Amino acid sequence: MRRTFSWFYLAIAFGFIYLPVGALVLFSFQEGGLPVPPFNGPSLKWYGEILSDRDVTSALFHSLLVAIGSSVIAVTLGFFAAYGLARYVLPGSAFIRALLVAPLTVSYLIVGLGLLIVLTNTGVGLSLITASIGHVVINLPLAFAIIYASMGAQHENAERAARDLGANETQVILLVTAPMLSPAIAAAFFLSITLSWDEFIIAFLLTRFDITLPVEIWSMLRSGLSPSLNAIGSVVFLISVAVLLLLEFTVLRRQK
Amino acid sequence: MTASLSIISLSHWFGSFKALNDINLEIEAGEYVALLGPSGCGKTTLLSVLGGFIKPTTGQIKIGSEDMTYVRPAKRPTTTMFQDYALFPHMSLRDNVSFGPRMAGIPSRERYRLADEKLDLVGLKADGSKRPHELSGGQRQRVALARALAVEPQVLLLDEPLGALDLKLRRAMQDELKDIQSQLGTTFVHVTHDQEEAMAIADRIVVMNAGRIEDVGVPSRVYREPATLFTADFMGEMNHIGLRIENSKVLTSFGLTNFLNLPDGAGKLCFRPEALRIDGQGHFLGEARLQDVTFFGTYTRARFASTDAPDQILVAHLPPTHILKTGTVFKIHVENNAFCYFPDNIEN
Amino acid sequence: MNSDNVKWGWGFVTPALIWTIAFFIVPFAVMVAMSFANLEGRSLTWGFHLDNYEELATRAYLKRAVLVSLEITLTVTLVSIVLAYPLAAIIAFRVPLRWQRLVLLLAILPFWTSYVVRSYAWLLVLAREGLINQALLEFGIISDPLTLANTRFATVTGFVHFFVMLLTLTIYANLKQLSPNYRLAAMDLGANPFQTFRYVIMPLTLPGIVTGAFLTFVLCIGDYVTPQILGGNNELTIPQVIMVQLGRRADFPLASALALVMMGMVTLAYLAAARWLRIDRV
Repeated sequence: MRRTFSWFYLAIAFGFIYLPVGALVLFSFQEGGLPVPPFNGPSLKWYGEILSDRDVTSALFHSLLVAIGSSVIAVTLGFFAAYGLARYVLPGSAFIRALLVAPLTVSYLIVGLGLLIVLTNTGVGLSLITASIGHVVINLPLAFAIIYASMGAQHENAERAARDLGANETQVILLVTAPMLSPAIAAAFFLSITLSWDEFIIAFLLTRFDITLPVEIWSMLRSGLSPSLNAIGSVVFLISVAVLLLLEFTVLRRQK
Repeated sequence: MTASLSIISLSHWFGSFKALNDINLEIEAGEYVALLGPSGCGKTTLLSVLGGFIKPTTGQIKIGSEDMTYVRPAKRPTTTMFQDYALFPHMSLRDNVSFGPRMAGIPSRERYRLADEKLDLVGLKADGSKRPHELSGGQRQRVALARALAVEPQVLLLDEPLGALDLKLRRAMQDELKDIQSQLGTTFVHVTHDQEEAMAIADRIVVMNAGRIEDVGVPSRVYREPATLFTADFMGEMNHIGLRIENSKVLTSFGLTNFLNLPDGAGKLCFRPEALRIDGQGHFLGEARLQDVTFFGTYTRARFASTDAPDQILVAHLPPTHILKTGTVFKIHVENNAFCYFPDNIEN
Repeated sequence: MNSDNVKWGWGFVTPALIWTIAFFIVPFAVMVAMSFANLEGRSLTWGFHLDNYEELATRAYLKRAVLVSLEITLTVTLVSIVLAYPLAAIIAFRVPLRWQRLVLLLAILPFWTSYVVRSYAWLLVLAREGLINQALLEFGIISDPLTLANTRFATVTGFVHFFVMLLTLTIYANLKQLSPNYRLAAMDLGANPFQTFRYVIMPLTLPGIVTGAFLTFVLCIGDYVTPQILGGNNELTIPQVIMVQLGRRADFPLASALALVMMGMVTLAYLAAARWLRIDRV
């Protein structure tokens, strides 16, 4: 009896979880103009529409720029900060660590709001660059935390060995430290890109003309329900799932 | 509370891997039995089947005279002491030990009294309100024992209980376990990979290998007259000499010997290091050169290489006061009645 | 550790520090200062004015926003935990071991739809012409479409959908960390599955639940997207009011004050969670 309840609950839970996604994907193939029942189709016309929509494709491109750009900066800064704090005895290191992690404690809205106030008061214009700055602020603490947590004693010994064999500081970092930490660096990078790619409120507040995909979707929402939104959503979802499954069956499998 | 255990034609498969291969064993009520063997021999699987955590593929388990093969752990008159103790970290010792009685519906005053009684049995009565993380490994082990005994099982199953303790503590706990068991009279089944531990505590030892029982018997018999070559090697260091017997003439690497009454064929002649003598007593084997000597406290370990066949190494445990010079040739004797012979066949 | 080359150490850490200070600490400080500024029409005067906070304490719609945010967030947190825990437990204990990772992955896969898109998808499902209403009408259960979208119900549903997936993941990880022997020992001592859960499993996972609840609280209270898409305009949450202040009125001071109040609520939640965890840990 208990067993059947478990499977029943599992089924209901999955039903609930996949209900919106199912509706989203199903009605992206809608023939008519409204992404609601009855379902006429299937038709690929909405996919065609969004893929030829300049605003959508450029927003996609902008999202990629911002995601990759801000992630590279966040992971680089985070890596060096982790290295500095883990390998050198600095006064007040606990305080520094707390400071670097502080942005995680605040809602994204507040991060965006603060930057917006400063930018408007100093007359600096809003752009993809300002949005990227905001994204670095939220991703730097994560990159730092992930990489710092992975710097263990065995890494330190390998670095010592490298120095012992004559490598200078730069060589140690490039040839020994970074490669050894590549799983953590990759994880930080991947997480950073994922968070930046889908981030809305900071991008919304800090961009003006060139916008990212979530912001573009938002403005399209103003015009009401349309299957083109379903199409965009489905594309984003399918790409993310494909990347995820690819990771699951290659990288993660190998680690087992 | 105690009961006998009958294991009848028990086999168990994990997928295509045969973990237990036709196990038959009778354990008397009140016995202290050790399941001894290397990792992967099936001893823990067997214990899990006895405890009801695994339903065996084929076979039967009887506790007392009742068939309990498929009875759930909660309803079985057995309790298991786990290797990592599994003490509930969020409960005090008293609450841990009284957990079983609580599940049985015993009211709080009565079950706390029971818990204190069991804690007293293991010497931790004063620490009832402490939490597990405040105790040392040895103390936690005792609490686990007290908790298992609080439900007054007929059979107590112990899964390598002393593995995490250091040598001195282990020896002390072995004595304690033996005392408690004889006090209570409960049947104990104790899984271990340490042959010395098995010999120290068990009334009978069950030696297992690759899912089968190799030998069953009292410690002294299993040690001195092992039933199989595996048992011989597992119970302690053993010297092997290859033998060939043709027309009742015995050929060893030491030359011809004809004192043994053995059938034609090939096999291994075995004897323990402590049975090897250099003082002329016992049966003469041949001559050997001393390779190296190491002091082990209670004995001196000496390695000899036969002069006729230098590849044949013999190990001796000599009295610790012997002072020997390496390179010297000695006459090797073996105590009478110390030989075991294992013919070469598929079994070995 | 290289204590003699401390200069090197500072060299490595400084870039990240500068970024954090310049683009987080300073803006935050400016925002705090802004909350004490005064806005009269178009002119902004800095200083220590309490007008904004006064407005927060007196104006009905602002007080209501705080209350609405709190009610929604607490409801979402509670419902999400109650729904996610059994799901996590079923995956951890009932699903065969080799399938667990796959099932878990499938359960949280919709996480990877864009956050904005997911809220939009719920709008599709809950709209008057949407999936649920059409189905109910089709089967004759109702005769007029229900108003499900643009309500608090829709907002809560949208949030719960997101947080159930998040909490299933965290609670699952928590459950798997427990030694399987705890369950076995409890069963061995006579506990039935319900007792095992109540007296052993649940207390041991409580710290994880508290952490998850706190995370849910923080993310939920600060979210603008879901209430804006699904909640309609009848009751606004704090983030929505902040955006209104920014958009229509460019009232940075009031927006800042609101933001700080929201932060204050998060801090209180953090203190409550920390205190709970400390008590539990002994």
